[in-house]
Amino acid sequence: MRTTLSLVAAGVALLAALPALLPAGLLIASIQMLIAALFASAYGMLSGRAGMLSFGHAAYFGIGAFATVHAMNALGGTGLLPTPLMPLVGAAAGLAVGIVAGWFATQRSGTSFAMITLAIAELLHALAPQLKGLFGGESGLSTMRAPAWGLGFGSTVQVYYLTLAWVLLCLGLLYFHSRTPAGRLMLALRENGHRLRFLGYDVHGLGVSAFAISAMFSGVAGALQALGNEAANYAVFDAGVSAGVVLNSTIGGVGSFLGPALGAALMTFFGYAASDATQSWLLYQGVLFVLVMMFAPAGLAGLVAAGARLVERRGWRTAASVALLAAGATVLLGAGGVFIVEMLQRLCSQDYRALAQAAAELPAVRLLERPWSPTALSTWMLPAGLLACGTVLAVVARRRVGSAT
Amino acid sequence: MGSAVDTLVFSLLNGTVYGLLLFMVSAGLTLVFGMMGVLNFAHASFYMLGAYFAYTLQGLVGFGPAVVAATLLSGAVGVVVERCFLRRVHHYGHAHELLLTFGLSFIIAEAIKLFFGNHPVDYRIPPALDVAAFTLGRQQYPAYRVLMAAVALAMFGVLWLLLTRTRIGIVVRAAIHKPRMAQALGHNVQLVFMGVFGVGAALAGLAGAIAGAFYTTNPNMALEVGVMAFVVVVVGGLGSLGGAMLASLLIGIVTSLAVGVDRSLADLLAVVGAGAWAEGIGGLLTLKLSSLAATLPFALMLLILLVRPSGLMGEKA
Repeated sequence: MRTTLSLVAAGVALLAALPALLPAGLLIASIQMLIAALFASAYGMLSGRAGMLSFGHAAYFGIGAFATVHAMNALGGTGLLPTPLMPLVGAAAGLAVGIVAGWFATQRSGTSFAMITLAIAELLHALAPQLKGLFGGESGLSTMRAPAWGLGFGSTVQVYYLTLAWVLLCLGLLYFHSRTPAGRLMLALRENGHRLRFLGYDVHGLGVSAFAISAMFSGVAGALQALGNEAANYAVFDAGVSAGVVLNSTIGGVGSFLGPALGAALMTFFGYAASDATQSWLLYQGVLFVLVMMFAPAGLAGLVAAGARLVERRGWRTAASVALLAAGATVLLGAGGVFIVEMLQRLCSQDYRALAQAAAELPAVRLLERPWSPTALSTWMLPAGLLACGTVLAVVARRRVGSAT
Repeated sequence: MGSAVDTLVFSLLNGTVYGLLLFMVSAGLTLVFGMMGVLNFAHASFYMLGAYFAYTLQGLVGFGPAVVAATLLSGAVGVVVERCFLRRVHHYGHAHELLLTFGLSFIIAEAIKLFFGNHPVDYRIPPALDVAAFTLGRQQYPAYRVLMAAVALAMFGVLWLLLTRTRIGIVVRAAIHKPRMAQALGHNVQLVFMGVFGVGAALAGLAGAIAGAFYTTNPNMALEVGVMAFVVVVVGGLGSLGGAMLASLLIGIVTSLAVGVDRSLADLLAVVGAGAWAEGIGGLLTLKLSSLAATLPFALMLLILLVRPSGLMGEKA
């Protein structure tokens, strides 16, 4: 317990010190990471703890964002709701819509539930561009952060601290909720709704409450996004946003409290870092997700927990060697896979096709500041070799773990 | 007056054809759902794969063989997905399988973007089929739509006969209804699962290969049709083939008719004298029904879930 507390304190201190450590561009990325982490935590509370897979969480994120933009424009940051308290509007809107949508969706469980959430999100996505007054049509709505409490909210640093404060507060509330009897009942709902009903609990009411709370915190995340961007566009209702939160949370691991936040922060960071370097980031994200589903169903958080168990059983030395082998395998397999995908992406691009049409033989592809001929054997031997070595390392690592348990 | 009737008939016909197309996609989806209890998110991806396979092969072997090859290839991909992915995570439960198919659909869409670019490709119906079937009033009705409808109806007939009149159909229905009992009686249920999954994928691929040429073939087609197919499966009743047919036609016709209606709720309220009030409120009340056409299926689905949660022809709630 004491180590956990000190770890959390260290993490919060690090997050608070970030503006002094990072350049402005990375600070904006950090804001996005924090928002994604909160959104994923809200989602993880529903899908991991309560066992309800929602495929339309973009709806509540977007509702929070638009409600905040409207409130900012209407109130101008004065009166009872100054700029720092604006996420409360997002929370209220998310909660209200979440209660209505949740009442519908939790009529059914399992797969039907997933489909209803998807349908509600698609309904909003199809409706939003038509309702110009509410969602600003195709161009969206914009707003301004008004100064409040003696702060201008003009600089990225102030926005960062505002976001950080809200994200930490919400994560704390979510954690507190998971410790209350109501939060405990979410687990029971996931494990056996029938038995819960026999025990006299209102299963539908519990489901609606889980859904509404998750939607509320998603609304806060949306509100923070609107505060950060000073704008909202109907693209926040896009199916890609819903898909992103599903992928991120699951990659992080919905089984643990911080797993989704970890996954979302990491994936957002990689997305930010990779978006300049590659056009295939979403493909990598999807492949990573499927690999996690196939080989590490508990997600990254599950891998960390497995590592901790290994240390406990076999000591630091074995665990470190396994970790090194696994890291080596990951790097090699990743490098091989990325090389193939990037080669294919360049080979299939329109520019290259036009070039190939004009030239007599297939021209070389530039990758890693080096030309590669697509017909040369060496071009394809390199990724094949990387993949083969990576597989060998992975098998060795697996054997080590196997002999340890 | 005559032209109004013509328009109505055309809307009805177009809606029916679109509905039959939806049925082709959702038939496999509802069968696989009834059998494995898994909603296959990647199902519409097979539809998209079918279209892209046919588009790629069309230049090499011609339209007809390309459609056949695309159907078989999509089915093969379906078999691979079941054998190498779904079966390996089966013991983690349905939610896990659902998420896995979700990830696979994501990968397929991104891979298509990688190979063909993030824009529609030039996949068209061959000139030989691009003729009018009949003329109604002054408008001609394309033969290709009739062909699409015929393929869908033939598929429905074959599936129905196969499931209800043959020995294979009996085994499949037994495997759907009580998989363990069927296994205990010596049937290879794993093989049946793989077969039905593959056939479902092949049917979706066939639908894509045929419809992709008529509508557009782009990387978003899986999502657009997929969401609609989910709606069909829920409205029709999970696992019910007849229900899928009924719901597909219903949704196709409702959407098609709504596009042609240039009225709003405010106009309706004007009949009872509240038109000015509705105009003042604006928002939803003044939106034309035609611009709401895309949202109607979802509204219908929510309505069905409220009134009849098991779907139009579903057995269990």
